[in-house]
Parts: sequence; C-alpha cells; structure tokens
Amino acid sequence: MVRLIVFLMFSAWAIISGVGVITFTNPIYVILWLLSALIAVAGIFFTAGAELVGALQLLIYAVAIAVFYVFVLTAVPWEKAVKKGSHYRMEGVLSLPLVILLYVEMAIVFFLGITASPEGKLRAFIERLGNTEVVGSILFTKYFFAFEVVSLVLLIGMIGAVLIGRKESQTYEDDTR
Amino acid sequence: MESVVAGVVIAVIKILVILGIVLGVGAYLTWVERKVAAHIQRRPGPMVVGWHGLLQPIADGLKLITKEDLFPRYGNKFLYNLAIVLALVPATLVFAVVPFGPEFELFGYRIKPILTDVNVALLLVFGLGSLAVYAIAIAGWASNSKYPLIGSMRKAGIIISYEVAITFAVMGPLILAGTLSTYEIVQRQIEQNLWYIWVQPIAFVVFLFSLLAETGRVPFDIQEAEAELVTGFTVEYGGMKFGLFPLVEWYVEVLSLSAIAVVLFFGGWSPINIPFMGFVDPLFFLGPFSPYVWFLLKVTVLFLFILWLHWTLPRYRIDQITEIAWKVMLPLALINIVLTAIIAPVVWR
Repeated sequence: MVRLIVFLMFSAWAIISGVGVITFTNPIYVILWLLSALIAVAGIFFTAGAELVGALQLLIYAVAIAVFYVFVLTAVPWEKAVKKGSHYRMEGVLSLPLVILLYVEMAIVFFLGITASPEGKLRAFIERLGNTEVVGSILFTKYFFAFEVVSLVLLIGMIGAVLIGRKESQTYEDDTR
Repeated sequence: MESVVAGVVIAVIKILVILGIVLGVGAYLTWVERKVAAHIQRRPGPMVVGWHGLLQPIADGLKLITKEDLFPRYGNKFLYNLAIVLALVPATLVFAVVPFGPEFELFGYRIKPILTDVNVALLLVFGLGSLAVYAIAIAGWASNSKYPLIGSMRKAGIIISYEVAITFAVMGPLILAGTLSTYEIVQRQIEQNLWYIWVQPIAFVVFLFSLLAETGRVPFDIQEAEAELVTGFTVEYGGMKFGLFPLVEWYVEVLSLSAIAVVLFFGGWSPINIPFMGFVDPLFFLGPFSPYVWFLLKVTVLFLFILWLHWTLPRYRIDQITEIAWKVMLPLALINIVLTAIIAPVVWR
C-alpha cells in the first residue's frame, strides 16, 4: 500500500517533468526538468527494490550525462537562451509519424519482453545474494560477451576523444610552461 | 501497522537529530575555522564577541540575514534562488547513509544510528555529491556575470575529473569489504580486525585529494580564487544567500566526506586498531557511548587536518588540477584496484 502510493508519487513526478521538458523554451529550464525526470525515475527504481539500478541511474544519468548538457548550455549567452524563434515547429510536425512508430515498437518490445522474461526465476537468487551481486554475476556470466563488446566500444570512443583533443592542442602555441 | 508507525517515528527522530547536528555544527565550524586559521598564522582570531569570540557565528549570522538582498539586473531570479536549494539539499542528504555507531536496543526496538542502511549507500554518496555541480553551474549562469561563470565552469570541470578518481579510489576498500553498505563496511573492518587505511594507503591519498577538490578547499579552491575571480560563482550573491554556499561547500560537504572517509578507511566507530591483532579502547570507561565518541573524534581529526592544509598551502593552477586528476590520481587508483583484486582473495579466501 505504502509502496503503491510512493510509486504513484514518483511516476506522477516523472510524467510532469517529462511534459516540462517538451513545453519549456528556455534550455536551462529544460535541462532542469530533465534532471527532475531522471531523479524521479531513480525513485521509481528504488520503490521497485532495484537499488543498484536506481543508484546508477542517479550517478550516471542524473549526474554524469546531464552535467555535460549543463556544461554546454552555461556557455550559451542569455539573449540566445530565451529566444523563441529557434524552434523547429514544421519539422516537429513532420517527425510525428516516426515518433509514433518508435512508440509502437517500444510497446511491442515491452509486451514481448514480458512473455519472454524468466518469471520469478531470479527472485530466490536475488534474495540470497542481494542486488549488486546478482547484476554482477549475470554480467560476468550470461552477458559476458556483450559486456566486453560494449567496453571495447567505449575504449574506442575514449581513444577517439583523446585523438581529437590532441589535434586541437597542437594548433595553439604552448607557452604555458 | 504498529511497526510501520514506530518506523516512521524513529526515522523522523533520526532526521531531526542529523539535521540539527549537521546544520548547527556546520554554523559553528566557521568559528573553529577562523580560530584554527588565526593560530596557524600566529594571531588571536575573533576575540571581541563573547569569550574568545564564541558568539561570533551568531553575530555574523544576524549580520548576513539583515543585509539588503541585492540581485543582478539581468539575472534569472528563479534559477538564482534555486541554486541555493540545489547546493544545500544533496549535501545534507549524504548524511542519510553515514553510520554514527553500532546497533542498539531502546524500548524493545532495535535501532541502527543510520538513517537508511541501503545496499548501495556508497553509490548514493557519490551520486549526491556530484549533484553539487548543478548548484554551482546554475549559480554561475543565473548571475549573468563573467566571474561567476568562469568560476562555475572551473568547478564543474574539477568535479567531473575528481568524481572519477574518487569512485575508483573507494573500489579498494569495497573489494576488501565485499559490500556497498556503509554500515556493513564498518562491521567487516571490525570482524577482520583491520582498518583499511593499513592496506589501502594509496586509495586514502586519492580519496583525500578528491575530497579537497570536490569541496573546493585549498589547494583546489580555483573556483573561488579570491585573487583572480573575487569569489567565483558567489560574486553576485549577498547576505545569507552568500553565506550558504561556503557553509555547504566548506563545512557540510567536508564533514560528510570526512565521515565517509572515516567509515571506509578508519573503521567507523571502532577504537584504535592494531592491524590483524585487535582493537585497543582507551575510552572504555565511557561504556556504550564510546563508539560515538570515537566516530566524532576521528571525523574531527580529519576535519582539522583539512583545515591545516587549507591555511598552509598555496593554490594550484586549473590545468595542474585536472592534470593531477587524470594523469596521477586516476592511474594510481586503477593500480590500487588491480593490486587489491589480486591480493585480497589470497589473504581472505
């Protein structure tokens, strides 16, 4: 009962924040709404008992990723941030079919996922080991290959970022030391 | 139903106690800081208001509250005020996962002196700790002024760099303890008869550097840098609104991160440790209060150490700070993780 009320609170919060993201025009407010939505989703994870996912949501999405948006936007001057003419209304209407298609796809995947998921199989496992351990052991056994491939992709991304950064630094004259 | 009510009542009492301690002590630490700084520099410090200036924080508070509330003309009022809330709330929330002492029984209820003993407490600490970036970035942007913006960009860069280092630094103690819950980490150290500082000195050094950087203490106070940026992102704030930022950064955050350091490296509420042998408790005569006194003592010593650094060292340059983070601290932390991961199973399993 208590859990249901808390869940409803967080989901209402998340939906309101989501509406805020797409209705406000000032990009800084949009970022703040996005942050609020991400925190609300973390709250939903916590109420569902997925503590690890909730904490990672907070750590990775709410902090690590959204911070870079703030980083970029704080460099935007005031007058440009509140200008309204820069919104692509026509393009927004044109992209609507694609958005609906994506939503339908998400719904299909969701319903297929419910039938395919191992119902209750993991529960005993989680109760015995705890949240973090279960995620860790699944990552390093069943999904080991996918996990390693993803880390390889991230490594390549990091090397690319370092390369781009180095190129830029060579164009300036280094007289700092 | 009765247990739910009891749980809520206990939680509310815990919240009130923690908030009272944190905010009350936080305000009075300004006096401690000024006294310590003064004696490091061989002067008496505040002496006029009350005995040895003991009433000075109250006088300062009154002065700050009654000051005129100035606001930059083209700033954004809502975000300007929101930044203060965004700074204060995550910093105080960190105390929700700080364990102050061992479990005890009162009127038939078993009470842990920790607000929420969640299984992912340490991840929460770093998540909440880095939410401070938003407060500073938004404070800088909403002020619509150049110094605050430069200060907030510097601080955001520092926090992003050091958040990585601090997260990797705590991996060492985590591998040894095998859990993310702060309460359990202390329990494991007591069971293993070992403060993790003895086997994780590298992790502790990295943690200390990151602590100083994230809280904006000297040598990493480049976002305030009085000589070049006046006071960085707080330039356009006045009165108590100005006072809250240093209060949060320099006291509440330093206290919370010191408490986490004590939990991770100094065995929380346990008395003095002889590695692998046991614990020696010179404060045994305090009986059940001895763990709390030990915890407070350790946090106080760490806080004084940070003050000592603050009033002794000069300031790094911004490029040196980020270079230390990525080229020294991060590799050190990674080496420490690998060493711990190799050695720990050999010793404990």
